[in-house]
Amino acid sequence: MSDLYVVAVVTLISWLGIFGYLLSLDRKIRELEKR
Amino acid sequence: MVWKYLLGIFMVVVILGSFFYAQPALGLGEVSRIIYYHVPAAWVAVLAYLVAMVSALRYLRTRDISHDTAAAISAELGTLFAVVATVTGAVFAKVTWGAYWNWDPRQTSITVLLLIYGAYFALRSAVDDDQRRAGLSSVYAILAFFTVPFLVFVVPRVYASLHPDPILNVDKKINMDARMLQVFLASLAGFTGLYSWMYSLKLRIYRMLRERTGV
Repeated sequence: MSDLYVVAVVTLISWLGIFGYLLSLDRKIRELEKR
Repeated sequence: MVWKYLLGIFMVVVILGSFFYAQPALGLGEVSRIIYYHVPAAWVAVLAYLVAMVSALRYLRTRDISHDTAAAISAELGTLFAVVATVTGAVFAKVTWGAYWNWDPRQTSITVLLLIYGAYFALRSAVDDDQRRAGLSSVYAILAFFTVPFLVFVVPRVYASLHPDPILNVDKKINMDARMLQVFLASLAGFTGLYSWMYSLKLRIYRMLRERTGV
């Protein structure tokens, strides 16, 4: 496994985690606004 | 709302720039590209802990519980980014040093930092009364922040470390290729924007819940 591949995978996982968290916060706000 | 889309596009450009525009650091190879995520995550963790301390000070001055909540939100985000910095650092360590964890001064100091803020959350969950919890945790948040510069900036420079500061940070100043520096600074700005976005979202959720419940 090349170093570049490792960095790319870690980057992808980090970003998916951060954006997933952002989306979950956004969804929570929309739910609260609907109520 | 537009600025959030702009931030998203900006971060996509930073990610692409980190792989296709910036050169790998001499002596470190392709794995050096992790610095565009690792260092900004560590920077945002320090910023978030600073915001937590300022919010805690504001609580102690005004006794307004919303400042205590702001401190807790910022400390949570700081811990999230500190974990990102720790994990990306461990991956870097595996590739360059041969093991995920070596108890290097950098790794040890960030572990101590995470434990200190872990205790902050434990303290918060241990007290039921809102004002009492806010008072105790505000004092703790202020004291905890005094350890941050020491653990993040001083300890790793006092003890011999395998951390690649001496390669990227010659003569105690940032010494990077122009393209690397551009992507690095853009990533720092992007991560700071992400933190601000998360912080404002969490604060909005808290305010909406408070209006709903009246607490």
